[in-house]
Order: sequence, then structure tokens, then C-alpha cells
Amino acid sequence: MAERYAVDFEHVTRIYRRDEFEIRALDDVTVKVPEGRFVAIMGPSGSGKTTMLNLIAGIDHATSGRVAVGGEEITGMKESQLAGWRARHIGLIFQFYNLIPVLTALENVELPLLLTPLKKTERRAHVEAALRAVGLADRMGHYPRQLSGGQEQRVAIARAIVTDPSIVVADEPTGDLDAVSAEDILNLLTELNRQFHKTIVMVTHDMRAERFVETIFRLDKGVLAGVEAGKMTEVAVAAHR
Amino acid sequence: MKFVWLVFKNLTRNRRRSVLTILSIAVSLFIFCALASVPLVARRILADSASSVRIACHNKAGLAYPMPQSYKHRIAGIPHVVAVISQNWFGGIYDEVTDQFPNLAADPEDIEVMWPDWGLSREAVDQFKGLRTACLVGPSTMKEFHWQIGQQIMLRGTIYPFNLTLNIVGVLGGKAPPNFMLFRRDYLEELAGETGYVDNYWVRVDEAASVPKTMAALDQEFANSPAETLSESEASFLGNFIDNYRIFFQLAEMLGLVVIVTIGLVAANTAAMSIRERRTEIAVMRAIGFQSGTILFMILSESLLVALIGGVLGCGAAFLTFKFFSIGAVAAGPLANVRVSPQIVAETMILAALIGIVSAFVPAYSATRRNIVEALRMVA
Repeated sequence: MAERYAVDFEHVTRIYRRDEFEIRALDDVTVKVPEGRFVAIMGPSGSGKTTMLNLIAGIDHATSGRVAVGGEEITGMKESQLAGWRARHIGLIFQFYNLIPVLTALENVELPLLLTPLKKTERRAHVEAALRAVGLADRMGHYPRQLSGGQEQRVAIARAIVTDPSIVVADEPTGDLDAVSAEDILNLLTELNRQFHKTIVMVTHDMRAERFVETIFRLDKGVLAGVEAGKMTEVAVAAHR
Repeated sequence: MKFVWLVFKNLTRNRRRSVLTILSIAVSLFIFCALASVPLVARRILADSASSVRIACHNKAGLAYPMPQSYKHRIAGIPHVVAVISQNWFGGIYDEVTDQFPNLAADPEDIEVMWPDWGLSREAVDQFKGLRTACLVGPSTMKEFHWQIGQQIMLRGTIYPFNLTLNIVGVLGGKAPPNFMLFRRDYLEELAGETGYVDNYWVRVDEAASVPKTMAALDQEFANSPAETLSESEASFLGNFIDNYRIFFQLAEMLGLVVIVTIGLVAANTAAMSIRERRTEIAVMRAIGFQSGTILFMILSESLLVALIGGVLGCGAAFLTFKFFSIGAVAAGPLANVRVSPQIVAETMILAALIGIVSAFVPAYSATRRNIVEALRMVA
């Protein structure tokens, strides 16, 4: 049986124009990520990592090439279609958490569920389950300012998974955290991948991430420079379980 | 509906700014409401009197010049005339100099015929005709001085060198100016020593169509006499009075518009600042899957809510101000007792809604159409 791909890039190029300059952020990149994998996109600054992640998340458009995510080609979708598609299929995690400061943890996590036909009680049940999964069941009523950075990122992860998306994309999820919190978040993402079979695509500079992921895509100057196996071993998986 | 709580939550984002924005809109709409109410009352008075069958007849030289009392019988003999009432301005004050209100002496015989729209009860009319010191008082003056029917009061003369002792026998209603007082002219004449002069005549004709020809007949009757007359329809007479205030009305309306434009700009600036602070949040919401239109709707709802709260406070303050601090000065005449009408409230609330929507639309539209990637990058 043919392997299904969560992410399928075919000759994708993304060119930005800044005044008179043309910046080739991604140049003819072909990448395939099978479903259920935990992969990292790594590379130096300006290598096109975030551009690739944005294209996967459907918040940016390729200049040329074909982008299919979750088996659905998104290259030709209009903005309104993409918004609906993102709500159904993508969970987003940002470096700076990007929680809404006037909403509690519970309300922040509930936000994506407002786009679903779920009733209030059903939404509440989903939110509680998501916050339990990230270990913050006791912080539901807390506002972002009342949480630590690591806890805020956990709430952001709960927000990303609460709609049960097929793919979670994370942009430098450990970039703003101390070593201990970063390790916690990486463990949590691994757990989500293992327990809930979520495809996770993570952009990171964090070398520790290599221990947690199955595949590493290395980019350099917009070109795919290599694909490596991660250092996650059975021992590591067993240890974090 | 499930987004409504988000709108309210966002209002609490910066409570001080929300409160100050609401208050600034409330103050400006209070000013607009107050300024717009006065010209509206004037226009309504004119509209109410447009189909009147009453004619005001005064000295051609001006209102300050009297006419002989003997004109009354000659006026009564002109075709189409149903009733004639002589009237004198007493200009008295009650107790303090500031306690002024329009008080006029009028013939008692035909008051119910002349002013059937003043809501006079049969009992009040009978008492007015039966008691020489009787007076009828408008409801706002009754309220202002805490008077009761049956009470005896004294008016101090300012034009005439004597005071009047009057008995209140009824309250004016209907379309009567709410601060008027009417008492018997024969009583005034008695105290004044039978001067035989009248300040103006009110003439009622049989139908509205008779008004122009009766006016012409009246002025023709007294042409080339020592006191020539100038007859005017009630609307024209009141219009002349109101004309004295026209510049004030125009100024009031202009000021009202200036205030609205100013607060519109202030609100737009506040909305722009507030939305600018939330550009990343808006981008995050869009990245999560919210449609741009939904976010735009939420931001506009929030701005609309702020403006409408301001509108309600502004209208409420204007309503209470006019209710408790009515213009009781005699100079205001028929314009006394301005009230905030439902029309003004509706206009003010529409303006509030416009301020809310227009001020936030451009920055909100721009923020919800901005490239998500660029907006997200701003935080990094």
C-alpha cells in the first residue's frame, strides 16, 4: 500500500519582493513527510525554515510548485477557503505562544472550537481534555500573565490540538524557554506524536530537538541541503514514556 | 452569537481607555443632543402652528407699541372672525428676580374658543370667568414654584408699578406653552387705572382658508389710523419671535456638528491605536482559522458597543439636564422648557453608531486584510 503523506512539497519555490530586491526564500524544494511523523526543519537563519512552515500551515502561498497537506492540495485555495481548511486541519504553535491576554487558559484553548458547530458544553469538554493532556487541568482559569513561559506554551499546544487537527506545526516552540521548560515541551510534543499519532512539523534551532524527532530536514539558503534521521531511539521513547 | 463574549472580553483589555473613550463620546453626544434639541423645539412650534386659525394683530410700529382697546369691537365685526381676545404683557416676577416666566393678561370671555387646543377644563374656564383674580398656569411653572390649584400667589410688577394677587384656578395643558400664566385683563385694567391700551389682539377665524383675507381686512380696517395694525398668522408671529434666535440655532447646529466630527476623529485615533496593538493577535486568530470578515465584525461590534454606551449616557445626561434644569427665563418665551425628543435621541444614537463603525472600519479592515506572515513576524 502506498504511503500517505501529511506534507507533500513538489518543486516549491517562494520568492519575496522587498522593494527592488527579489528574495528566493525557498528554491525548488521537494519534501515528503509521511503521516504520523515528528519531523524538524533545521538550518541557519534565513535558510527558509519558517517560510516552509508557513506554506505547510497555509498562511503563505508558494510562488510556484505544488503544496499538498493532509492529502489536500492547497496551492490554489483562496484566502477564505484556506482559513476554513486551517481551522479543520492545522494546529499552530508559535515561538512567543501568542495567547490572547484578556482570555483565560480555558478561553484561549476554546478559541479554535468557536469555529466548529460544537455546543458550549461540548466545547468545554474538549478544552478540559486538551488542558489535561498538557498537564494544565488545574490552571484553566488563569490568564496568560499568571502563567510561566513553559505553561503558556503548554496552553498554546492545547489550543493547537483541541480541534484534533491532522498536523501540528510548531515554529521555534522552545525558542523563548529555559532549558528545563524546553525539554518539557519537546517531551510533550513527542508524547502527542506517540499517543495521538499527530504529524508534527517543527522549525527549530534547538539542537536538543534532534534527540526527539524522527527526521530532520536541513535547509540552507532556501535549498533542501539534506534529510537526516533523528536521534530518537527506542530508549529515548521509553524514557520519556 | 458565540462571539459576543469575545467582544465583551476585548472591552476589558484596557479598561481605562474603554471608559475614557465611552466618556468622551458621551460628553460630545450630550453636547450634540442639547444643542440639537433647541432648534428642533422651535421648528416643532412653527409646524404645530402652521395650520392654526389664529391671527396675531399688533401695532404696525412694533410689539412695544400699544393699540386702543376700542379696536376689539371693530375686529369682532370683520367677516369670518369668531372670537377676539385683547392681551397685555404684565412681565411680573415671583419672589426673586430670577423667577421669571411669561405672564399675560387676557380677556376671559372667549378663552376656550380662542385656545381649544390648550387643554382647558370646563371647570377651570368657568372659574376663570367667574373670579376676577383668577389665573391659569402652565405645568412647568406650577412645578417650578411648587404651586397648587387653589393657591393664592403674588406677582411683582416690573413694567407696572403694582403687584398682583392671583388665585390659581387651573392648569394649562395641550399645546399651551408649559411656562405661561394667563390672568384676567379686566383685573389688570382695574389696578392700572383703565389705561384702555392693548399690547396685541388674538383673533380666531372660522377656518384656515379665511386667515389671509381676514389678515388683510384687519390691516385695511385700521389703515391710516393713529395705531395702524400688522396682522400675522400664528406661525408667522411665532416665527418672528423665533427668528431672534436663528443665529443661535445655526450656531448650535454648527457647533453640534463640529463636536461630532471632532469626537469622530478622536474615536478613530483611539480605534487605530487599539487595533494596532492587536495586529499580532488578529493575525493569530486568522492563522487559527478565523475568517477576516468574522474578525472585522467583532472589532466593529466592539467599537459600536463603546459608541452606543456613550450615546446612551450622553442622551441620558441631556434628558436629565433638561428635565431638572429647564430654561425658565422669560426671554425664552415659547422656547422655554426644551426637552430631548425621541427624534433627537434617535438622531444621536444613529450618530453614535456611525462614530463607532466609521472610526474603527479603516484600521480594522486594514488589520484583517494584512498579510498574516508579516503580522506574525512583528512580535518576533
